[in-house]
Amino acid sequence: MFEELLEDVAQKNGLREVNTCLKLTAGLSALVLCLLSTGYGSPLFIALVLSAAVLLLARVDLRIYVELFLVPLWFAMMSAIVIVLISGGEHIFWSWNPLPFLSLSVSSESINTGFFILCRVIGSMSALLFIALTTPMTDLFVVMRKCRIPDFVIDLGMIIYRTIFFLMDQVQQVYRAQVMRLGYSGWRESITTFSMMCGAAFITSWDAGDDLIRAMDARCYDGKFALLGENRPVELRPLAALVTFIVVSSVVVVASHGMTLL
Amino acid sequence: MEGFLPLEWCIVWWLIALPCLVYGVWRLKKVMDADREALPLLGVTGGFIFILSSLKLPSVTGSCSHPTGTGLSAICFGPWITSVICAIVLLFQSLFLAHGGLSVLGANIVSMGIVGPCVGYAIYRLLKDTSVNVYVTVFLATALADMFTYIVTSFELALAYPADVGGFGTSFIMFMGIFAVTQVPLAIVEGIVLALVFKYIVALKPDILVRMNVFSESQIIAARGEA
Repeated sequence: MFEELLEDVAQKNGLREVNTCLKLTAGLSALVLCLLSTGYGSPLFIALVLSAAVLLLARVDLRIYVELFLVPLWFAMMSAIVIVLISGGEHIFWSWNPLPFLSLSVSSESINTGFFILCRVIGSMSALLFIALTTPMTDLFVVMRKCRIPDFVIDLGMIIYRTIFFLMDQVQQVYRAQVMRLGYSGWRESITTFSMMCGAAFITSWDAGDDLIRAMDARCYDGKFALLGENRPVELRPLAALVTFIVVSSVVVVASHGMTLL
Repeated sequence: MEGFLPLEWCIVWWLIALPCLVYGVWRLKKVMDADREALPLLGVTGGFIFILSSLKLPSVTGSCSHPTGTGLSAICFGPWITSVICAIVLLFQSLFLAHGGLSVLGANIVSMGIVGPCVGYAIYRLLKDTSVNVYVTVFLATALADMFTYIVTSFELALAYPADVGGFGTSFIMFMGIFAVTQVPLAIVEGIVLALVFKYIVALKPDILVRMNVFSESQIIAARGEA
């Protein structure tokens, strides 16, 4: 029912022990560079480098990575097609006016725009996946606390984090039982069964949340979870790699300025 | 979806989302100070939004259709706190499931965390003290919160990619049309599902609803009678 959570992969990836701030800087700067680029070359370059890092350094399974990429890639393709159709241009190859206010056309300019957006999505997705696959949420909580995000917001984040896993467990158990009892055999049954599952999961997790708070209160919880902020040192090699990556990517962004397909 | 909106629009939506989030955080602090028992409910509604909104269907517009689940939280805690919960959930979604993304997080918070819940909450407030059935109120609030989330998403997409002929209007209609195919039935189903979930809450834990002033005691008693 659910895809494998990236969190599971992130907990045992090869770059787990690298300083969190370095990984975040790499991912976020790649994201910003992708958004700043004006030609299709630089997002593809960034995607290539980060994918290599995820596959070779973090040793994420190739199959998982490809699967993760395929879904957004498919969305991106479809959306790029819509944009190709609605944005016009000078060198028109094909056009159609089905309604007075709607004109669809394919031109070399619109193909360039569509292809560029597709590449930008690929580049930014690889940046997002780099962060998601190398940095577990638990490490991010530590960084959030360093960034002075209020404690109770982080606490709420952690409670939601825990509830998600609890809910998923519940939902999977109930769902399996319901399928076995033909709960999803028809359209109407499906809605009733699905709401029953949601309701049951909601109430059970709520109770579990109550228990959790009670248990924490009994252990002197004062509205702030203690976090073990393991301070992984910034090592020279990852730092050098990060700086090289940012410098080279920035050069590529400038060099590929205005690069188009047609 | 990550990288889909151009940089300037990412920044614009972030700038709109941030003040709402700050206000939401302030409201959240007040609620958490006043009632410790609200914390598990806040956590569960967050988890619930996560699960519901991860059931996504592909849509052609660079975004995708999914239930949002924000209506329930808007009814219980109001739209501002919901925006904070939503922001946390959307962050988790981009990092756990690669749904959404960090650059488009601002835009997503505005559509799913701010406008949707505001609409849901407004409907709930309008109908709360009328003779309309509690479950109908919940149904309308959650279904319309979902619908408006997608109207705003189409708005965001159309602003970023106006059509060459007809400009913003044409592309707004196009994006909306594409979303409507999946989103209208989904919003109705979501409304039904959340109304039924609400029925469970009324049956099993009515006290917290009364304490948090979501519905008055007599309304809950009437609703339990019907259930």
